[in-house]
Amino acid sequence: MSSPTAPTSVKIAAPPREIEREPLVLNNRSLGWISDQIAGIIEGKTPTWWWVTMLISLPVMLMCFTMIGYLISTGVGVWGLNSPIAWGWAIVNFVFWIGIGHAGTLISAVLFLLRQKWRTSINRAAEAMTIFAVMCAGIFPMIHVGRIWFAWWLFPLPNANGPIWPQFRSPLLWDVFAVSTYFTVSALFWYMGLIPDLATIRDRCKGFFGKFFYGLFSLGWTGSNRHWSNYEKAYLLLAGLSTPLVLSVHSIVSFDFAVSQVPGWHTTIFPPYFVAGAIFSGFGMVLTLMIPLRSLFKLEDLLTIRHIELMCKVTLATGSIVGYAYGMEFFIAWYGGNPYEAYAFQNRAFGPYWWAYWIMISCNVISPQFFWFKKLRTNVVVVWILSIFVNIGMWFERFVIVVTSLHRDYIPANWAYYSPTKVDVLTFVGTFGLFMVLFLLFIRFLPLIAISEVKGVTNQADPHHPLGGAKGGHH
Amino acid sequence: MKDLSHSPKPSGPAYWRSLDELTDSPEFRQWMDREFPEGATEAPTGQSRRDFMKIMGASFLLAGAGLTGCRRPEETILPFSKMPQNYTHGVPQFFATAMPSRDSAVPLLAKSNDGRPTKVEGNPDLEFGKGGTDSFTQASLLNLYDPDRSQKYLKGGNAVTRNEAIGALRMLNGQFKENKGKGLSFLVQSSSSPSRHRLEALIREQMPEAKWHAYEPVSFRTSVQSCSKVFKKSVRPVPHFSKAKVILSLDCDFLGTEQEAYSHIRGYADGRRLKEDENHHTTSNRLYAIESLLTLTGSNADHRLRVTSGQVFSVAAALTEQVFDQLHLPEDEAGSPIPALRSSLREKAKGVTVDEKWIVESVKDLLAHKGECLVVAGHRQPESVHQLAAAINTLLGNIGHTVTFLEDTQPAYDSLAQLKQACDAGEVEALVVLDGNPVYDAPADFDWKATQRKAKNVVRLGYYEDETSEVADWHLPMAHYLESWGDARSGDGSYLPVQPLIAPLFDGLTEIEVLARIAGSDQVKPYDIARTTLKSAVGENGFEGQWKQLLHDGYLSDLRSSAVDAAEDDFDWSTLTQNLSQAITDESQSGTASKDALEVVFYRDASLDDGRMNNNGWMQECPDPITKMTWDNAVLISRRTAAEMGNIKNKELVEVEFNGRKVQGPIWIQPGLADFSLGLALGYGRSKSGNVGGNGDDSVGFNAYAIRDSKSLSFGTGAKIRRLNRIYDISCTQDHWSMEGRAIVREANIENFEEKRDFAQNMDLEAHAGHIPTDEDGKPAQIYEHPYKARPSTHSDIHQWGMAIDLQTCVGCSACVVACQSENNIPIVGKEQVANSREMHWMRIDRYYSGNPELRGNVSNLIMDDEQAYAEWIDDVQVVNQPMLCQHCESAPCESVCPVNATVHDHEGLNVMAYNRCVGTRYCSNNCAYKVRRFNYFDYNKRPIDQLYEGPLASHSDSEIDLIEMAKNPDVTVRMRGVMEKCTFCTQRIEQAKIAKKVEARDSGDVEVADGTVKTACQQACPADAIAFGNLLDPESKVSKLKNDPRNYAVLGFLDTKPRTTYLAKIRNPNKNMPDYHTMPLSTLEYTKNMGSPFEAHGASHYAEGHEDGHAVETKTEGGQH
Repeated sequence: MSSPTAPTSVKIAAPPREIEREPLVLNNRSLGWISDQIAGIIEGKTPTWWWVTMLISLPVMLMCFTMIGYLISTGVGVWGLNSPIAWGWAIVNFVFWIGIGHAGTLISAVLFLLRQKWRTSINRAAEAMTIFAVMCAGIFPMIHVGRIWFAWWLFPLPNANGPIWPQFRSPLLWDVFAVSTYFTVSALFWYMGLIPDLATIRDRCKGFFGKFFYGLFSLGWTGSNRHWSNYEKAYLLLAGLSTPLVLSVHSIVSFDFAVSQVPGWHTTIFPPYFVAGAIFSGFGMVLTLMIPLRSLFKLEDLLTIRHIELMCKVTLATGSIVGYAYGMEFFIAWYGGNPYEAYAFQNRAFGPYWWAYWIMISCNVISPQFFWFKKLRTNVVVVWILSIFVNIGMWFERFVIVVTSLHRDYIPANWAYYSPTKVDVLTFVGTFGLFMVLFLLFIRFLPLIAISEVKGVTNQADPHHPLGGAKGGHH
Repeated sequence: MKDLSHSPKPSGPAYWRSLDELTDSPEFRQWMDREFPEGATEAPTGQSRRDFMKIMGASFLLAGAGLTGCRRPEETILPFSKMPQNYTHGVPQFFATAMPSRDSAVPLLAKSNDGRPTKVEGNPDLEFGKGGTDSFTQASLLNLYDPDRSQKYLKGGNAVTRNEAIGALRMLNGQFKENKGKGLSFLVQSSSSPSRHRLEALIREQMPEAKWHAYEPVSFRTSVQSCSKVFKKSVRPVPHFSKAKVILSLDCDFLGTEQEAYSHIRGYADGRRLKEDENHHTTSNRLYAIESLLTLTGSNADHRLRVTSGQVFSVAAALTEQVFDQLHLPEDEAGSPIPALRSSLREKAKGVTVDEKWIVESVKDLLAHKGECLVVAGHRQPESVHQLAAAINTLLGNIGHTVTFLEDTQPAYDSLAQLKQACDAGEVEALVVLDGNPVYDAPADFDWKATQRKAKNVVRLGYYEDETSEVADWHLPMAHYLESWGDARSGDGSYLPVQPLIAPLFDGLTEIEVLARIAGSDQVKPYDIARTTLKSAVGENGFEGQWKQLLHDGYLSDLRSSAVDAAEDDFDWSTLTQNLSQAITDESQSGTASKDALEVVFYRDASLDDGRMNNNGWMQECPDPITKMTWDNAVLISRRTAAEMGNIKNKELVEVEFNGRKVQGPIWIQPGLADFSLGLALGYGRSKSGNVGGNGDDSVGFNAYAIRDSKSLSFGTGAKIRRLNRIYDISCTQDHWSMEGRAIVREANIENFEEKRDFAQNMDLEAHAGHIPTDEDGKPAQIYEHPYKARPSTHSDIHQWGMAIDLQTCVGCSACVVACQSENNIPIVGKEQVANSREMHWMRIDRYYSGNPELRGNVSNLIMDDEQAYAEWIDDVQVVNQPMLCQHCESAPCESVCPVNATVHDHEGLNVMAYNRCVGTRYCSNNCAYKVRRFNYFDYNKRPIDQLYEGPLASHSDSEIDLIEMAKNPDVTVRMRGVMEKCTFCTQRIEQAKIAKKVEARDSGDVEVADGTVKTACQQACPADAIAFGNLLDPESKVSKLKNDPRNYAVLGFLDTKPRTTYLAKIRNPNKNMPDYHTMPLSTLEYTKNMGSPFEAHGASHYAEGHEDGHAVETKTEGGQH
């Protein structure tokens, strides 16, 4: 175990204060401390708040399944859908959760390729969040169809009815491919990254079951050079593979709308705008989850204010892109000279659903602007509250897109109003239960910060740093 | 006459002739008798499928024995030992019959699938109506299979056997034969049945003391009665709308709720269709409507004057006086009643508060069309208005041209009031109530429930065990017209058969059976009665031939009731003068409608009639043609009235008090309604109906009869409204009223049209697409090649189906909606589901109001739909209707987004749905610009509509569902929950026609179906003949010709979905001199405000100019620079 203070025997000139970067791990925490701190969460006693949260989340999750059971047994009519609003909360929730699922892979893959070292403290939890969010998202397209028992017809499977293939021109089919690919790669990536840490836990584990399962899933990791070398290559490859997926998934989800001819949906701006929105909402959710965890598990040294600030900056940037997109949509609706299109956008802002639109604008465009101020983005309470606004705003964005476009389209005789039913609401709330149960299980049984990766960005791991190199590199 | 026993041509509908002809061989009869014991003919008590089959078997026996001789033997029970001629199992057959309707009947061809009627169509051979029907007729089929219909013979509410009940009828005969019928009273409804009239005469002969009373809650007899008075002979006026160039309606909804509207629509549409006169001017008829409620007639009118119903009399007087004034008749001789008449007219006209110019100019127009115009008065108006209409028609020389007269065949009846007197006096020993439902619909002041109890013995024949049955000693179930023999007369007096297609399901009786038994006649079978009646009309000689002819053709024009030769000279001006001065004196007491004394107008509902369709789900769910309301009636009120009464909100529950009686109903602010008039639809709020109509507190709507007394059967003044501060949910299928200046329905005035005949193609975005490159035809070039061109193998070059709908003649009657529902097994979904826009109609009629843009100007188009009822522009609106159904786009947006390929295009241009393949993503519906796809959110076909949300726990009454399923068309799949459905262009009919043609063609290879062979259900029902369907590859087909009309346009054509359904623009024919004249239809004015006038060259037309400038090549290739 290294001592917490730096040795003084070797004198190396420290870089000037003004160009020195703030360290990613504060208080010069040693590598051992990092292992202890993170593995300790798993090894220690289950905190009371965990039980409390779990006991709240479990029934909520069960409620979700109950609602789905009711839906399947009775019909999609238990939701508030109608003609013309044939897609409602289910699709809103699907896009919402998929959007949240964007941050994880972006953080782990894109930031990895861009050599953003600060990603290491948040990537594990963000990836877990991604996977759970995609699971929550995946429920909706499946259950929203009228005959769920035939949902597998969306897959291009050979069947007994002759060569009936799916319609490859349909964006819904692209969704099937995009989301399933994204889920598979994200899950693989996440699991790959877990292997060295699983081995660490295995090695520290005392109980039989722990040894068995962590041993099983760490796939015989020994930490040998060859293992590390293979691991790093694979990690890089998977990061490369995931990066286009980050862009493709939400682009394709946006095609569900953009490819159609509904005024308000049929816009070419959708793919980039959706991706920006997804990253925006994903970071919002990461902040919402990590800020409490950071203090509950005393991880302030690993998840520093700098991390939070950086995430706030990404949120600000993507939030502003989203705001720009909103403005551009209106500009094009006017400039395009198509009265149907123009009406759809006026109707969004000033029609019967004006309230949804302005909630969206306030949460998505106005609230991230507070992050221009360092004082606010370093205040965790303010950041946490604003991150929740981002989540709300992004849900409403999808609601605005899906519902307000459909409710008044081309032929005024079709116009109608849509309100969700209790089943709609409870199913959506229920998915938070599912998400929370999965996330709670994750933080209880898996290292929520990537131990090995965080170690790689400590001063001790930096050969050019006074603390790093050969002298402090043991653990 | 040719021998009808030979098989008809293999194609076309097979009309049925007498069945015993087919089965009446002695061996067969003998075998039948052996095979089936007597029990097979007994009436079942339940209504399960098994029972149904039993009945079917039973009817086979009946048929074999020549008892009813009405149906094909049912194969399920009994295989044929000898196959009947011309019968193929599974191939539907058509039988000529008629649906009796008050004192008329609708001539029909009814379709039978293996012995069960599944669809009714108008009889196209008959000049009257030419095959058009109304929604009531279309929906009448469902009544046949109504599980709530009366199924048992009841004595004091307890079930008895049929024989016992029939014994009671015989006893009546015994009881009253002696005393010549003293104490016996009949309460009947109007009927045109010669058999009933014959039996009535028989009873009158035997029992001269018996009293005959007739009551119709909504009676169309006023015109007959009033005209008979002024023409001094019994006449039944028949208007000829097709011959009238100018029509003026005095509160007469002849396109909607008047009797025989379907035939009037046909005539009106014939006159409305654009024609060219000798000077190459486009002509069309012109319609002036004066009315209080906004009716279909008013909504189709070129000029509409909204006045309260009570004021119509004054307006009619003003009009008549104006006619006299403008005619400049020579000085009246001494003793002429004319000066007296004119002075009363002037006196009456003083009360009119309408624009003088309206009266003057409309009369000028009428006068310019002497002998070619027509003034009609509505059934709600008093006799004097009808007489004034007759007077105007007489003055204008229309008698014998646009109005002719038939002999009135209906015998004279006493009134309901007289029956009440007799009951109160205790003079009624026995009361026979034939059909009708007086306990529900008699005037409220008669308190019919108590009155009927005063009769010592009440025998009631009723189709339902309803309010009247509850206070009857005997209740006899009545047979449906599709299960009983009878006869009737159509509106033009033709003799029609009522021919059954099935034996009575619950062993019910018909009116004529009951009367025959009371008459003590030996002949009690309706079949024999109807034959005897015909025999008495044609004589023994050649009777069988005539009878066969009648059954085969569905009418006998030789036996048409005789025309009455009433001429202008027959008009009795003194009677008119007397009647009028009397009426004016009576009227003067009623006062005019005002805020404190509102007028109530009781109107025949477009869905439920007078309540007889109350338990019919198709009608309950068929949106009202004007309000688009379903499953309810409401207190219709004008915006201004609602505002003046203290800003009453739409859908607010109020209590209407009229002459001390009260009823509660929701307010519905209705555009175009006369101020201070309340419209109350009859037929709702039944205390005892069925599962659909509900009972008592659960009933659909409120009972307007509760405040209707004998003095104001149609309307009356003096009502008050009390607000109850509660909101009542109304299910309306169209929440948004305005077209918002969009070119969805395109219309022009006739002079605009002459200026630019293809104006409709110069509207919407496609007209503003000048910068888009074009192809060699001058049409916008395609980015993607049309799939048919890209892959010719996917394309049939024999048939390409298409439809054209003429908005010029469509009046919006909604017969097509119900016809489609019947043909395509479309379920009803109930009020709650309709409230959430989940109605399943494949075809709907969109109705838009357009207002004066100057008034519309300040109204935002972004408001909530609930708010639109308070804007001023809705006071005087123009109305357009548009039937909307799957457009069968060639580049269908629904197809490319379906992930499982469930909706695809076929090689004949149909956009088809593979229900089996559909998983229900509903993406197709989202991407459909017309929103014509319908999704089965629940198992509508399997679960009761009030238990849809209970899922698998919902009760499932097998027997009930089974009976309703009998109404289903076996050629159309019944859809389950979770699948999308939509109009198929009646693909089953197309396939049937193709198969028939292929069979006929054999090796010749000529498999092209001739134009007119395939008719879609909506087209067939359309009384206006506004829908054309056929093969687009045949340049001679009607649809191809219509598509070449300059008025032809595609809705949202700019989306380039290339719809196969196109519309022909509506051309209004307003009178330039009228005060409410606008240079363009209001919707076009609104459009012009946003998008520029379609009558000026712009957009696409700039393009044409480019060609002339010699930039053709450049334009073609680099259109983008233009």
